[in-house]
Amino acid sequence: MNDTAQKHLHRVELKSKEYKSDIPVVWCGGCGHHGVLTGLLRALSELGVDPNFLVNVSGIGCSSRLPYFVQSYKMHTLHGRAGPVATGVQLARPDLAVVVSGGDGDGFSIGGGHMPHLARKNINMTYVLMDNHIYGLTKGQVSPTSRSILKAYTTPYGGVDEPMDPILYMLTYGASYVAQAFAGNVKMVTQLIKDGMEHKGFSFINVLSQCPTFNQIDTAAYFKSICNEAVADHDVSDLDAAMHVVNQAIREERVPTGLLYKVERATLDERMAALVEHVGGHPDYDLRKIIDLSRP
Amino acid sequence: MKRDNDMQGMTKNDLIIRIAGEGGEGIISAGDFITQACARMGLEVYTFKTFPAEIKGGYAMYQLRTCPQRIYNQGDTFDILCAFNGEAYDLNRDRLKPGTAFVYDSPGGDFEPDIPPGVHAYPIPMTLTARELNSPKAKNMVAMGALSTLFNIPEAALREVLSAKFARKGEAVVQGNLAAFERGRELASALKKTDSFAIKAAETKRDVVVMSGNNAVGLGALIAGVEFFSAYPITPATEIAQYVSKHLPKRGGTLIQAEDEIASISHVVGASYAGKKAMTATSGPGLALMSEMLGMAFMSETPCVVVDVQRGGPSTGLPTKHEQSDLFMAVHGSHGDAGRIVLSVEDVKDCIDLTVAAFNLAEKYQCPVLLLSDSSLAFSTQTMPYPNPDSYVNVGRKRWDGEGEYRRYALTEDGISPMVDPGTHGGMHIATGLEHNEAGAPNYSAANHETMQAKRFGKLKGVINDFPAVEEDGEGEADIGIIAWGGTIGVVREGLQRLRAEGYRVKGFYPKLLWPLPVEQFERFGASCTRLLLPEVNYLGQLAHFVRAETSLRPESYTICGGLPFTPDMIVRKVKEMLA
Repeated sequence: MNDTAQKHLHRVELKSKEYKSDIPVVWCGGCGHHGVLTGLLRALSELGVDPNFLVNVSGIGCSSRLPYFVQSYKMHTLHGRAGPVATGVQLARPDLAVVVSGGDGDGFSIGGGHMPHLARKNINMTYVLMDNHIYGLTKGQVSPTSRSILKAYTTPYGGVDEPMDPILYMLTYGASYVAQAFAGNVKMVTQLIKDGMEHKGFSFINVLSQCPTFNQIDTAAYFKSICNEAVADHDVSDLDAAMHVVNQAIREERVPTGLLYKVERATLDERMAALVEHVGGHPDYDLRKIIDLSRP
Repeated sequence: MKRDNDMQGMTKNDLIIRIAGEGGEGIISAGDFITQACARMGLEVYTFKTFPAEIKGGYAMYQLRTCPQRIYNQGDTFDILCAFNGEAYDLNRDRLKPGTAFVYDSPGGDFEPDIPPGVHAYPIPMTLTARELNSPKAKNMVAMGALSTLFNIPEAALREVLSAKFARKGEAVVQGNLAAFERGRELASALKKTDSFAIKAAETKRDVVVMSGNNAVGLGALIAGVEFFSAYPITPATEIAQYVSKHLPKRGGTLIQAEDEIASISHVVGASYAGKKAMTATSGPGLALMSEMLGMAFMSETPCVVVDVQRGGPSTGLPTKHEQSDLFMAVHGSHGDAGRIVLSVEDVKDCIDLTVAAFNLAEKYQCPVLLLSDSSLAFSTQTMPYPNPDSYVNVGRKRWDGEGEYRRYALTEDGISPMVDPGTHGGMHIATGLEHNEAGAPNYSAANHETMQAKRFGKLKGVINDFPAVEEDGEGEADIGIIAWGGTIGVVREGLQRLRAEGYRVKGFYPKLLWPLPVEQFERFGASCTRLLLPEVNYLGQLAHFVRAETSLRPESYTICGGLPFTPDMIVRKVKEMLA
């Protein structure tokens, strides 16, 4: 671990409500996102994260409003671009804690091209995907995780697309920490965000989060019923085992929850730091030595 | 700089050598070696290259202009042509005028040219000789040896640069190439020299560097103190990323090759928010992808520098060819009313100076700054005085002094609100693309949006005073004033010199700041000219459009879009036509 990784942890003692900003929460009553916010605030408190060293980054969507409600530095960016913006923040300042929050459309539709690279490059950040199987902010269109039977406003006769499984993709893309929870299980959400932030590397947490306003079939009760209550008992350092558990659950139309995969490997900022060290890099390196290379 | 093509019996000191053949035959490296040798002799050099969009094959051309005095452009046409194959001959035979020298692959080449009367012909068996020496790839070295003998390019200097270049490929490669070079010299010695072209060392040697536009942008960024660089490969901008990749780690900086240009500009915006001087470099297609995030950077008042090395468009277009056609997109390419600062570079020196200026402006005004280069300049190597890094002034962003309650978007007299780096106690805030109030909280009221737009645009009013934003060439009243931007400026400079030498009353106006358009300066210049001409390499007449829209001036547009820059004689002819 380099000397900056997870340095932001255990710095202060604050209650979870002290991490809440003054901006009122705008989500509908019964929205799963409330549980995710509560879980995040509790995790921050339990970890003792200094809010001055925390950057919350989001894209666009209902879930992307989350940073407004958290006491921290934060960026509310473009649809699909939270991941790369957060990458810039993290690489520029590896001493900061970086948390991305966003939805299924933001992360896996418009922003889907960035996901493999956040994972394979092992950017040291925690990505909390609030997966409600619907576009909420645009009021009810199918998302990449919507079930085919969902009749949304763009699928009035029923869906024509197959849904994707975010967990399966993130395992394949090489994320070094992959976990899943149901938003109604705030205890598990808290624990996984905490673990994810302690994990050095790219931690991805998919949270099934009901949208009571626009998704009438994927209700809280439905999500609760399909989530395996018990945390999977496979070896979480074994990628094959994790893939097997997820595939098995998909076949059974169930969702595995808890920590599914975790591996330690170098993060991009660590590799960059090693590269700078390798070339003897220093901000005071004499520019003339570089310019001299262009003499005829 | 007067070029007299009819000089007889005198040695010309302003020479243009064109080497042409198939991509992959070593045209570019032979040209580079000669360029380096000329620069070592204290001469100025200015090169122009065209190459195909394919990796192997297709027509490639390297044109080197060298002269003891300052050179502003690639020139009109060659004095010396070196053709590696029949295609090179076919494409250039119209320009083989009496008095030109022609070195070509024969016997054993794939063509036998008809030598026009008055052309000095030098057949050199390049392919055959390279094959005999068992170094088929060394055809270019045979040609270079011949050019060296024929036109007095010092053998020692060429041997040095050649050996240095091939050193890492091993001694056998160095020796093979040197043998081919030597053989080329012998072959040329056996021919009777009938022309008078000869390169002469300059009397005084100056302290110079020889750089391409792309490398100079990279160096400018280093001088400006760039700390973070992200880019996605794209012709013709990739060398900027390659240069920075090589040298930024030495300065302790961070760089990343992004998955696409949307990610690269996003990385830059994130890094800049985190307090770092950050930039990306791309070409038109990449800039198109960045346009949404550039709006976000304007809205969230996040400094960022974006270099656009323009190429022929639209769409995939002419990816390796010259065009100045991204001005519309650079100025207005985003949704909503989004502002930015747009600069454009004339030559390699500008690539350093204006990249530094771009960082200073971005940091000062907390907005995107776009720097327009072009594909000719990207690959053009030019001599310039050694850039002393201490002679540049670097400006940092205004940071919060820690007093009172922090408001990120505080309304101030000059519209510039102090920034704060994450990790600063009391400075927590949100950078957001939503319309917001002074504290950053969402606010969509009419009054707030109007106030905030006025703040964001109003702060840009001072830009014109921050660096040499425009240049006027000539004084007093003129019958014709020429407005030029980017790579066309150097061509106009020389065209005006020739016209003035013939007694024409002409002036030039060269804006380096294209947006916000320096309206007052345009008006002043326009008032001193009877007619205005605006040559630019695009179909629509993009700068002419903005000048007509923003000023009272009505310049006559002169547009070309054939993938090549203007030449000075085109400017001269056009002005004469207008005044005829």
